[in-house]
Amino acid sequence: MARYGMLIDTTKCIECFSCRVACQMQNGLPPEESFIKFYGQEEGTYPHVSYYTVPVQCQHCENPPCVANCPTGASYQTEEGVVLVNEEKCISCKYCMVSCPYQARVVSEKTGVVEKCRFCIEEVRQGKEPICVTTCVGNARIFGDLDDPNSEIVRAIAKKKAKPLRPDLGTKPKIFYVR
Amino acid sequence: MIPNRISRRTFLKASAATAALLSLGTFELETWQRLNAEREGEVKVTPTLCNACSSKCGIKVYTKNGRLWKVEGHPDHPYSKGKICARGHGLGTLAYSPDRIKEPLKKNGEGKFEPISWEQAYQEIGQKLKEIVAKDGPEKVVYVEDPRPTGKFYGPRFLAAIGSPNYFNHLTVCSNARDTGFLHTIGAVPGSDIANSKYILFIGRSYGDGVRPASVQALVQAKENGAHVVIVDPRLNNTAPLADEWLSIRPGTDLALVLALSNVLIDEGLYDKEFIARYAVGFEDFANKVSSYTPVWAEKITGIPKETITRIAREMGKSKPKAVIEQSWRGGFGCTYANSVDTGRAVALFNALLGNFQQPGGYIFGKPPQLGKLDPTRHPEPGKSSLPRIDQEFSLVDPHNGVASILPKKIEEGKVKAAFICQTNPVRGYTNPKVMADSLEKLELMVVIDVLMSETALVADYVLPEPSYLERDDVIEGISGGKPAIALRQKVIEKVYPHTVPADQIFTEIAKAAGIGEYFNFTLEELNRALLAPLSISLEELREKGTIVLNDPVKMGEVPKLKTPSGKIEFYNESFKKAGFSPVVEWKEPLVKPEQDSFRLITGKQSFHTHAYTVNLPYLLQITKDYESERLWMNRKRAEEMGLKDGDLVEVSSSEATSKIRIKVTDRIHPEALFIPSPYGNYSPYLTLAKGVGFSYMDHVPYRIDPMGGTSMIHEVIVKIRKV
Repeated sequence: MARYGMLIDTTKCIECFSCRVACQMQNGLPPEESFIKFYGQEEGTYPHVSYYTVPVQCQHCENPPCVANCPTGASYQTEEGVVLVNEEKCISCKYCMVSCPYQARVVSEKTGVVEKCRFCIEEVRQGKEPICVTTCVGNARIFGDLDDPNSEIVRAIAKKKAKPLRPDLGTKPKIFYVR
Repeated sequence: MIPNRISRRTFLKASAATAALLSLGTFELETWQRLNAEREGEVKVTPTLCNACSSKCGIKVYTKNGRLWKVEGHPDHPYSKGKICARGHGLGTLAYSPDRIKEPLKKNGEGKFEPISWEQAYQEIGQKLKEIVAKDGPEKVVYVEDPRPTGKFYGPRFLAAIGSPNYFNHLTVCSNARDTGFLHTIGAVPGSDIANSKYILFIGRSYGDGVRPASVQALVQAKENGAHVVIVDPRLNNTAPLADEWLSIRPGTDLALVLALSNVLIDEGLYDKEFIARYAVGFEDFANKVSSYTPVWAEKITGIPKETITRIAREMGKSKPKAVIEQSWRGGFGCTYANSVDTGRAVALFNALLGNFQQPGGYIFGKPPQLGKLDPTRHPEPGKSSLPRIDQEFSLVDPHNGVASILPKKIEEGKVKAAFICQTNPVRGYTNPKVMADSLEKLELMVVIDVLMSETALVADYVLPEPSYLERDDVIEGISGGKPAIALRQKVIEKVYPHTVPADQIFTEIAKAAGIGEYFNFTLEELNRALLAPLSISLEELREKGTIVLNDPVKMGEVPKLKTPSGKIEFYNESFKKAGFSPVVEWKEPLVKPEQDSFRLITGKQSFHTHAYTVNLPYLLQITKDYESERLWMNRKRAEEMGLKDGDLVEVSSSEATSKIRIKVTDRIHPEALFIPSPYGNYSPYLTLAKGVGFSYMDHVPYRIDPMGGTSMIHEVIVKIRKV
């Protein structure tokens, strides 16, 4: 069984929001709800300045606090390590939202279900990639099996020394960032 | 442990964030579970063309039960290469916008729009057009467009059938200056082979803001191959993550930089002497002229250290021919300053000095696909008008672009009586909106073909609604390039509003009513089959594939005969001399200069909007809202000096207008400039989402036209600001 993860190379991300809108449409989200957020970082003082942005979505943690805190078992982890929400079981208590250190979850205004990035798992199971990866104009995203030592993502994480966000929190995220 | 980290405070924060998610957009929400459940057997994928910007990328559109689901980039299309930008995704919902124009409208005596039948619209417009042509002459009729594929065929043919030469498009506020500079110097505007380049200098152009997916991919590839990327821009634009250095140039002085770079190349013998000897004329005149444009001289003008200028020139010289100043779109010299045409000339010539023409990593002169035409024995072709154009005083400007901002002047002079405007918004975007709107209102006949009620549509006599780009077929698009390609925009979903009619039919019916119907005795399908005939590709095959790249690559290493009078690179230029300008490019000051208490107002794209055209779309406008992207950028030090803080509301005032806007305080901008993103400031009450968002820099652009390139010189604007 594959264990899915993603690499986001911020040196290639131009903050074009293509992944955000593609994800919204793929998932039938209204414009106000988005699974991907951007944190722009400006460093230095004029004229010695740099700018990059960090796209943040559900990190599909190995040790997900949202799953631990969900009182009904609506938030769960699949065998592939993907964190999902069972719509039937969600009571919209928002415990998962406050437990998520990455603020990756949003409430569906229509259904009340707390939702988030699902790594486009239905597409992935059909052999495709998540739409944020396929549409990324800068090729900044790589998706794949973290347990396969020959996968592109594993090689890229090693080569580019990619690291997860806030590893100190102990959540063991499966999204790795290149800075 | 994580759960212990949750405080009451963060819980409340999350609840507040939840409360902020209250209003629901116009796009119907479906949960992913339902989407997934409905997926089987009902999903259809149709290849077509995007319409979100002038690139017109190839896309694949997924529908579910006949309704739009999602959009993907077409893998074969030379501009998308399998990817598509935010605009390309979000634009799809245009079809479902409640702000769509649903039936033909006519302005009544009180200035209000009333629905009329198509038959009435065709008859009245055709009749009026006939009268104007008979009474005032065919040259009093003009046609203006973006341009996009159907309009590009039908508009000029319609003009020709009437006998008018007056074709215009939006390039007056896009690339006219650059095009003028390039065409007379090297005969064309080549593309840049960015992927294979070792040294890339961008002037104003930002791949991260004016996104063409294939270009971004090429730049990423170049970076992976170790290319050095320099951004020359008063603003550190969104290509920043892909750049190695930023030259924060004083706005309007790019010409001085390029002249000084040329000076170093020539002075130090780093240019391609063999290439110049073989392909150029007038090099000595140019070399003499630039000998005084030293890096020391340029430092004072541009604010860029002389050592930096010398270093970059040397590095580019050593990297030639895999070094390039990218040709840019609007960028720093498409239509921005009084010296933009000269900057265009200097950029073209600098690339010539690098000998990078038809070399990997340099400038590539692409070729177009050889499309066919209608059989003239069955479909009579109207002869081209021999009358003079109304913008003939701009002798250097390519008549395929024209100088659309001349319209207010010519309308006042009584030289234009009727205008047909297709899918473009000259009032909002071509020059000062008040001047443009006031003059267009004086026309005897003004017809707008569009999907939404733009600011230009507001001043029309007749507004004719088209189906949106996913609901119609268009004329085949030919794409020039290293490998030419063809692509088709085709119907993906059924018309949402049944009374909308595509432009090809609108032109055909008006032509019939105006007595020139014999020139339009064919259907769009017949036309498309005729265009395809020489390529041995059937319309059915093109429908199935959407985009077909032709295996007809340009020959690398072989410089084609240049389309200049001499057939060579013209360092000395007779055309400019004839038009009353210096035959050799020389330094020219920008038109205006900010004082200590004022700023130059500059503008540019954002990756998720195009012109004013995409702001009314829920997905794209929401990005503006979430990231407060409509704000005015201001240098941090200047802001501190004025006692202004990030988010403060300020009043921006110029000779033309005052606007109110909040500021974004940043170190990413030159202290003498204020940056306002280009798309905002819509005021049409029919654009219910876009209306009132931000302000338009165009409100502040005085009505002036650059005599060389016919552009609106949109950065020649001085403003003051004060806290409100």
